[in-house]
Amino acid sequence: MDLLDAHLVPAVDGVAFGLLLFVVAAGLSLAFGTAGVLNLSHGTLYAIGAYTGAELSDGTWGGLALGLAAGTAAACLAGAGLSAATAPLARRGHLAQALLTFGLALIGGDLLIQLFGADELPVRVPEMLDSSVSLLGHRYPAYRLCFIVMAVVLAAFGTWVLTRTRMGAAVRAAADDPEMLAATGHNPRAVHTGVLAAAGALAGAAGVLGAPIIGPGPGTSENVLMLSLVVVVLGGLRSLWATFFAAIAVGEVQTLGVAVAPALAPYLLFAAMAAVLVLRSRFVEPATAHGSGPSSPGPVARLRERVSGWAAPLSAWSGRLPGSPAWRRAAPPLVLLAVLVALPALLDAYSISLAGSALALGLLAVSVTVLTGYAGLPTLGQTAPFAVGAYATANLAEAEWTVGPVQLVLSALAAAVFAAVVGPAVIRARGTTVLMITLAVGELTGAVVNQLKSVTGGADGLVGFPATRAWWGGPELAEESELYAYALVVAVVAVALTLLVLRSPAGKLLTGTRGAEARMRASGHPVGRYLLVAHIGAGALAGVGGSLMVTVQQYLAPADVGFEIAAFALLAVVIGGTTSVVGALLGAGLIVATRDWVAGSWPGHGPLLLGVLFVAAVYLLPRGLAGLRGDRPGGGGGRPSAPPVSEGPPPPGPPSRDDQPPSRPPVRDDGPASGPPVREGRPLSAPAPNSAGKVSS
Amino acid sequence: MLELTGLTAGYHGGTVLHGLDLTVDAGSVHAVVGHNGAGKTTLVHTVAGLTRPSAGTVRIDGREVTGQPAHRLARAGIGLVPQGRRVFAGLTVEEHLRLSHRPPRRGDTTRPGVWTPARVLELLPRLGERRTNRGADLSGGEQQMLALARALLGSPRVLLLDEPTEGLAPVLVRQVHELVVTLAAEGLAVLLVSPSPAQAVACARTLTVLTSGRMTLRMSGEDARADPTALRAALELTAAGTATDNG
Repeated sequence: MDLLDAHLVPAVDGVAFGLLLFVVAAGLSLAFGTAGVLNLSHGTLYAIGAYTGAELSDGTWGGLALGLAAGTAAACLAGAGLSAATAPLARRGHLAQALLTFGLALIGGDLLIQLFGADELPVRVPEMLDSSVSLLGHRYPAYRLCFIVMAVVLAAFGTWVLTRTRMGAAVRAAADDPEMLAATGHNPRAVHTGVLAAAGALAGAAGVLGAPIIGPGPGTSENVLMLSLVVVVLGGLRSLWATFFAAIAVGEVQTLGVAVAPALAPYLLFAAMAAVLVLRSRFVEPATAHGSGPSSPGPVARLRERVSGWAAPLSAWSGRLPGSPAWRRAAPPLVLLAVLVALPALLDAYSISLAGSALALGLLAVSVTVLTGYAGLPTLGQTAPFAVGAYATANLAEAEWTVGPVQLVLSALAAAVFAAVVGPAVIRARGTTVLMITLAVGELTGAVVNQLKSVTGGADGLVGFPATRAWWGGPELAEESELYAYALVVAVVAVALTLLVLRSPAGKLLTGTRGAEARMRASGHPVGRYLLVAHIGAGALAGVGGSLMVTVQQYLAPADVGFEIAAFALLAVVIGGTTSVVGALLGAGLIVATRDWVAGSWPGHGPLLLGVLFVAAVYLLPRGLAGLRGDRPGGGGGRPSAPPVSEGPPPPGPPSRDDQPPSRPPVRDDGPASGPPVREGRPLSAPAPNSAGKVSS
Repeated sequence: MLELTGLTAGYHGGTVLHGLDLTVDAGSVHAVVGHNGAGKTTLVHTVAGLTRPSAGTVRIDGREVTGQPAHRLARAGIGLVPQGRRVFAGLTVEEHLRLSHRPPRRGDTTRPGVWTPARVLELLPRLGERRTNRGADLSGGEQQMLALARALLGSPRVLLLDEPTEGLAPVLVRQVHELVVTLAAEGLAVLLVSPSPAQAVACARTLTVLTSGRMTLRMSGEDARADPTALRAALELTAAGTATDNG
């Protein structure tokens, strides 16, 4: 009883926190489950509500009501805008839409800071609620109790609409088969817009009402997004009740868990998320394409045509290049290499060090390419092996193991071991589930980094360790140009090795696995083993990248291996075209240049520029930079570029219901079959009327 | 009635349907027969607005509706019973009926019949027994009934049936055909697509044989019933013809 008594306040706090998360996560789940948009800007919608509410509420009931109305309306409009922004990408799959929303989140975050400042805003609640009441002998803030009531009402209303009304039935039907919904006379586009607007309104209302719990500030968006992603994953997509219990559980972990076991709480969430994803292994994925088949060429399509028009001379020129196809295939890497070698003569010291960081990030991006483009596992968690490599090198350096090759090999080994350990969890899933699992892996790694202060320096990071020596007994690398040369040699060797492997028969096996997994299995290929090997190889490569980053920048902070870097790496891969190693390197260069170089002349707007880059890349480069070369699948010239993962249009004809990723048939050895014996060489036919149970047997 | 002139449609891979002319009179069944890949489903999808035609026109009761999106065509009076039924897996029968029920606009007296959930349940009583079951939990025959109910509740002028008897037991096949004839008798224009000539002959007023997206034979149902050899010959001949083409 004492135990309960001592923890009553955090437990009730947990309920309030959980209800807040439920309302937010319900919107996220609605947007993903029924409109097919994995909305990484959902946290920004919450922040819009929270900022508006904080700005307008002046401690009166009228202020609160005004804030609620304005915040909900603003987030609702933003949601409708999201619908318009993602609709042209509907046929390109979840990855493109997710990246677009991430770009919009970066832009939105920058705009919010412009409007409301970079500090956390104070939130005032009506005076009547700004007191504490007695709850079983404890003082408890009245506002939180009031919030619990309001959130329950909101959640109950939303549930009622979704499950009991015709509108709710239309929303669920749209998630199931938008074409058939259209055939019954409902406009699926309107449902799509309505769903995203409603999801925005939910997030906005939660933002206004929840501002006293998770207040408006620069970190709000990401915090809310991560927590509600955890809730959505834990709860699954189709059941509101499961989402509800998941939200309460997460709320309790965040409050009661922190009060009882502060060291464990950070791991608990993402470990639970990873466990659920791995155990369920087939996260229900919603249909991708919506709308009724024919879509008129929108402004985006026209703009894209114009861009490929600009690129036409380039592809014509590359087509006229002399030499054999093999030579032409080798040309882009060689040109890139020549440019990279010439860079030190062209740039100042600061830019050279940036170029070195870009090479490190480039290796990370190449490892993401291997997984996304070749193995078909789009990942947001390659920063985890990257971090392992980085912290390994930093710690080796602190222990005076400063020889470069030793650091690289040991870092790669450590990262490979790490990848081998988490690999089995990642390779079981496909598509968006991989994104979620790897996200959880990345966040777990981040939590470990923050906790293991003795190894990682915690939030302060590591600094002041001895510099790397390029070889045994060599001098310490101190000059920017020396560091760059070292980074270049390492990157060239790593990329060359990767290209060799990818273009060998082993690479073909991976490509085959991604393209026709069931057929590969049926042909007797141990697909799981291939993917695990690919995952370990990519992990080692990311480890080398991490090691290189530490060597080049000579310090290491948790942000260097955080979620943003993971998203950047994925963007670099998308910019480059998911199967192009050179494209990934170029993409990484472009991102570092945008973040550190261009933004240098416009301080504080790095995220805005990167957001614009995200949005432009997703809209204008459906097949990445590699697509600009004019390669057509099956056409002459360059290598046949396979359509990138979940980027190509769905195969024509079959209804979108079939667009769901093919689930992997369970492979199992059933014992002696029950039921009628089937003699060898004789088909057994089972004539019976419908509903007789033919299929079920 | 439904009028198609010079209808041409296809997907990214190429043209599937080449300049098809076809008319379905109100109160009659027009059956389109053809082998797999002949373009039957593309025809249905194009009329229903799920595929955009690249040329040609679609008219309903004389009004041109070519290229309109599916939900508009549905409101204009097209009812679709798609291949494979495609009922909403997560919605109950009751919700299907409620969602699809779309009475014609007030003053619109041109519809051949006005359908309400009650009237549909009268026609398809089995659905009434399974009101609270979800679409995924129904048997194949029940799903087919539900798909038909869904199409009827829009009070359509034109009913598109894409292989409605696929995978049904013989006794249900006969029931479906009786239903189709009943519905046509109410004044609906029914376009029935089927790979089997026997089914088409049983209930159609007009028959069209489709081969590689082109019409290769058109005859009246009476003629086909009197002498089925011509239709068989057309289908077998076309099959042989395709075989030699490929060889």
